[in-house]
Amino acid sequence: MGPSLPLASAYYRPGAVAEAQQLLTGENRVALAGGTIVNADREHGGIEVVDLQALGLATIAAEADRLTLGAMVTLSTLARDERVPEALGAIARAELPSTMRTRATVGGTIAAAATSAGVTTMGIADSVLAAGFLAHDGVVHLADGSSLPLAQLFASGLNARTLITAISIDPSGVTATASTGRTPADVPIVAAVARSTGDTVTVALTGVAATPALVDPDDPAAGLEPPSDFRGSADYRRTLAATLTNRAVEATR
Amino acid sequence: MSTTTQQLQISFTLNAQPVDETVAANENLRDLLRRLGMFSVKFGSSDGITGAAAVLVDGELASADIILAAQIDGHEVITVESLNTERDLHPIQAAFTAVGAFQSGYSAGAMILGTKALLEANPNPSEAEIRDMLSGILDRETAYVKPIEAVKRAAAVMRGESVDAFGPIVLKPMTDGTNAVAYDPASPAPEGSEAIPRLVPSIDVPDMAVVGKPEVKVDAVKLAKGNPAFTDDIELRGMLYARLLTSPHAHATIVDIDDAEALALPGVQAVMHYKNTPRIKYASGGQSWPNPHPHDQVSFDDKVRHVGDRVAVVAADTPEIAEAACELIKVTYEVLPAIFDEGDAMVDGAPVIHDEEDTAEIFDRDRNIVHQIKAERGDVDAAFAEALGGGAASKLYEQTFRVHQVQQCPIEPHISIAWLDADERLVIRTATQVPFHTRRMVAPLLGMDIKDIRVIKPRIGGGFGAKQEMLIEDIVGHLAIATRRPVRLELTRSEEFRSSRTRHPQTITYRTAVDADNTLVAQEMYVIGNTGPYGTHGYTVQTVTGLRGLTSYNAASKRFHCDVVYTNIPVPGAYRGYGAPQAEFALEAHMEDIAIDRGLDPIEFKRLNWVKVGSDLDIAPHLGERSVEEGELEEYPKVMTSGIEECVAQAQREIGWHRREDPAWVAPADRPNIRRGIGFAFCMHGTAIPFLDMGGCSIKLNDDGSFNMLVGATDLGTGADTVLGQIAAEVLGVALDDIKVYSSDTDMTPFDTGAYASSTTYISGTAAMQAAEVVRERLKERAAMLLEIEIPCTIELRDGRAFAPDGRSVSLEDIALDSLHWQDQEQIMGTSSYVSPECPPPFAAQFAEIEVDVETGQVTVTKLVMAVDCGVAINPITASGQVEGGMAQALGYAHCEEFAFDETGKLLNDEFGPYKIYRADEMPAMIVYLVQTMEDSGPFGAKAVAEIPKDGVAPAIRNAILQATGVAINDLPFTPERVHAALTAHQA
Repeated sequence: MGPSLPLASAYYRPGAVAEAQQLLTGENRVALAGGTIVNADREHGGIEVVDLQALGLATIAAEADRLTLGAMVTLSTLARDERVPEALGAIARAELPSTMRTRATVGGTIAAAATSAGVTTMGIADSVLAAGFLAHDGVVHLADGSSLPLAQLFASGLNARTLITAISIDPSGVTATASTGRTPADVPIVAAVARSTGDTVTVALTGVAATPALVDPDDPAAGLEPPSDFRGSADYRRTLAATLTNRAVEATR
Repeated sequence: MSTTTQQLQISFTLNAQPVDETVAANENLRDLLRRLGMFSVKFGSSDGITGAAAVLVDGELASADIILAAQIDGHEVITVESLNTERDLHPIQAAFTAVGAFQSGYSAGAMILGTKALLEANPNPSEAEIRDMLSGILDRETAYVKPIEAVKRAAAVMRGESVDAFGPIVLKPMTDGTNAVAYDPASPAPEGSEAIPRLVPSIDVPDMAVVGKPEVKVDAVKLAKGNPAFTDDIELRGMLYARLLTSPHAHATIVDIDDAEALALPGVQAVMHYKNTPRIKYASGGQSWPNPHPHDQVSFDDKVRHVGDRVAVVAADTPEIAEAACELIKVTYEVLPAIFDEGDAMVDGAPVIHDEEDTAEIFDRDRNIVHQIKAERGDVDAAFAEALGGGAASKLYEQTFRVHQVQQCPIEPHISIAWLDADERLVIRTATQVPFHTRRMVAPLLGMDIKDIRVIKPRIGGGFGAKQEMLIEDIVGHLAIATRRPVRLELTRSEEFRSSRTRHPQTITYRTAVDADNTLVAQEMYVIGNTGPYGTHGYTVQTVTGLRGLTSYNAASKRFHCDVVYTNIPVPGAYRGYGAPQAEFALEAHMEDIAIDRGLDPIEFKRLNWVKVGSDLDIAPHLGERSVEEGELEEYPKVMTSGIEECVAQAQREIGWHRREDPAWVAPADRPNIRRGIGFAFCMHGTAIPFLDMGGCSIKLNDDGSFNMLVGATDLGTGADTVLGQIAAEVLGVALDDIKVYSSDTDMTPFDTGAYASSTTYISGTAAMQAAEVVRERLKERAAMLLEIEIPCTIELRDGRAFAPDGRSVSLEDIALDSLHWQDQEQIMGTSSYVSPECPPPFAAQFAEIEVDVETGQVTVTKLVMAVDCGVAINPITASGQVEGGMAQALGYAHCEEFAFDETGKLLNDEFGPYKIYRADEMPAMIVYLVQTMEDSGPFGAKAVAEIPKDGVAPAIRNAILQATGVAINDLPFTPERVHAALTAHQA
């Protein structure tokens, strides 16, 4: 046996969303999607996991001008599905290495970005995919039937008992990414995802706040108060925010 | 805890067979599969990021670490064992073995399964797709070069295409072996896969049957099949699981430990700490007797000196109970001020880290100076005075460099299992590079005689120096004796970072006086070496820093002085290169800057001054525990072979050196933020430690004419078993397959100092050669009897037979049957050991091609080329694999790996990811050249190869950045913000 076992003390696999919702009302219950975060966590013990794999949430559906990505769609599926914008698929591929992206899910990525479960030790959001969803006008669908813009979810935070069922995105436009990391495949210190639709440009950044953030493409560093860590000080992150935003925006033109 | 953990019944398909199992809610798929006998699934980390436990789940590659066993209910799982349906290898396994894709082979199962899934989806994948598949399997050994080649080869075979035998590209020499040739920009580099080494033969080297050939590794089959070969791949009834409690403080006195609650927890069998273990002083570095002082450690102390230091250990029936019990141990600390910087440690009034009375031979306890090392020849001060006075020595150059702390990162963490055998002797099965040192060192700590301890080194999943240490063997020994049950302790990945060993940080200052004709007159090196809280390898590593830092270039006067200081960082120890990478970074940067200051081409300036055949190795005798004064020495050892000019010529052509002068290449018009550069570093290393490193070998003949070869040498994945087998096979005139190599077990095999100091091929290889020669002579005598020849020495062994001068022959099998069963029966066998008076240096030319994003500071390394003179490469495939893997580690050292601490000394990046090591989909191109020279003192002409690839990458990248941007950066690593800050300062 390897050291430091997962900390789940009970396991549930509901067969319907309503059942999952009910289970998640229990104390210390945690939704388990792919497991790349929950099962790797060695800090928060005493949890009971509610496995979402049997809920039928692993589908991608194109409807009108939106693309709906089920919460249990894996990043590897996202990377190879032709309906997903190519740039977003590339971001999904780059998000995690091969042995992890087959398990990590869309819903897990959003939940981690929204609850700071997936951030670095210094509390800086670094999911480029979550930023990509922001740039693509992501709208999060919840199990209670409600929905809200992803930016709003990031602003308000995610209750651990709230079950994400899907995210819908606007797949249109031209999307480009610019990032700086220690190595080519490193989690970026700062990344900018820009999406251009007609005259409108949307830019989302990682590495500048506790969650991915939408910024003004013309003044991306305005109001940013990035935390510092050993990979990048606040000042450096602000510098990168401006430089990378300009590059990403330019690349969409 | 296990008593409250839910149990579940699951059903799934494993390797096409239905499985019904009861699992705990917290059991992960990795542990379940290993429990079911799938030992190919390995532990690398709990977060899945190493990929060592990757399996196919519903056909997709996934890390089993982060999948609960319960999640698998209703799914299909495939492990590499599914391919082991017969003795022959599956084509994918065969492809990996054919190209030498495995070194330790710890993650072999994951790589093969990933290949299987990839090729089933796409029979003709691109290289980018192959790299992407491998992106989730971290490999610290191969640089992914040969695994990528293996996937390509497997794909071709499975498409029904024929493939060529895998061997080196043989090139014509470009030089006469001694003199430089002018660089010709129009001369194209040879084409070929980067996985194939370019071999430049020497006319001095005869053609041989086995030596020099790309033989498949002797351990390839068991690695490809994922057979149970590693430390953890055994099951012992009643085994206990140990768990460490480590210090949260960088420096503190333990006022009290209360273990009552922990001991009361059901399932806890023992808790050990300073109150119940004997206080016996030792030094943990795996070095020859007598281990250098000070002996400043005990198994459990009443003081902790770094975050992650040992406090206590628990042995319990399950890992969960052991972990829970650790949380119940009440430790009362008195927290003390801590120091982390080596310069701060020596300041008056700094906290004293070793204030205990029972540690002797600390040089200056109050200033935390554990050693002061000095060596000098000539008159350095006079030369410097002359330079400052404007005399013949025209200029004095001084620069200071800072090199940082990194970790070896073997994918297999430290693991040891100990038990008492039927004779009540203690058996320790452990992942170690030094089984014999470990046995000797652990004995007094356990109150046992050496003869009552047996240390077994099974297959090791990488070490790189981290396992040149008696690190946790005393703990499992204590617990096995206390509980009389088998005890297993495996470090977590976090513990591997915090509580094992690392590379020494140093502050290095060079002063060099250069004559008007650009000749070095005097060179001085002052080093402050940071040995953390314990001495362990601190003395010897800094000695090697001085040796390497002052040997590469000729100067009439040289001086090394060094303060080795205690601090409160995690413990530095041995790491591949052992002080040389630090020195070479500073030296090659310093020499580069001098050349530029003098308006000279860096290669020409370095060439003018670097050591050549016949040069004295003039600082070496004055350094080390057996150093001598200048007057005591009649003659200095000399360089006897050097292929450096051929190395430079070949590598310079490969990298396209002239492009660095092309403005359009340096500043591409379509990428205005990019500047390109190419850098060079001259590399020189050592081959073993003269008069100290010793290897032993024993060979015996079997009934069928094959041989068992027992070696104390420790193959960590380096290919040592294969290379030693090739040497013996060459002497005995048999195929490599007829040499069955066994290493290493202190009860069974001859003594060997261990796998370090680039010594195995040279030292243990010579022992193997000599043992084989003993056997060969006896075989000739027995053959002479059978062939009725009077002069045995006229008989020749080849192709498994003994040939008389008249062409008649007898097989070795016939000789064996005759000698074992028929007449004048005897066991034909030979034993030999070897210690060398020489230390022949390998040489290398290292080039790096880089891009700098001048707006962000991001450096991208695009190509590394190393041409190495390692004498005769006994196996060019394994040798090139050593160079590739060494360069990849050196790349991380230069570029992205670093320990980051908070102000209290807590390591912030004790996991992969935040601690960044390169993965397959981001590696630069790598090309390896092997330039032969015939080193007469080595077995069949061999010198060392394992460590020199660690030396040149950092300075070559640094010099490339300098050439591209005009900015010299003198501290490592070249992370984006550091480079950005340097660029900004330069512009200001």
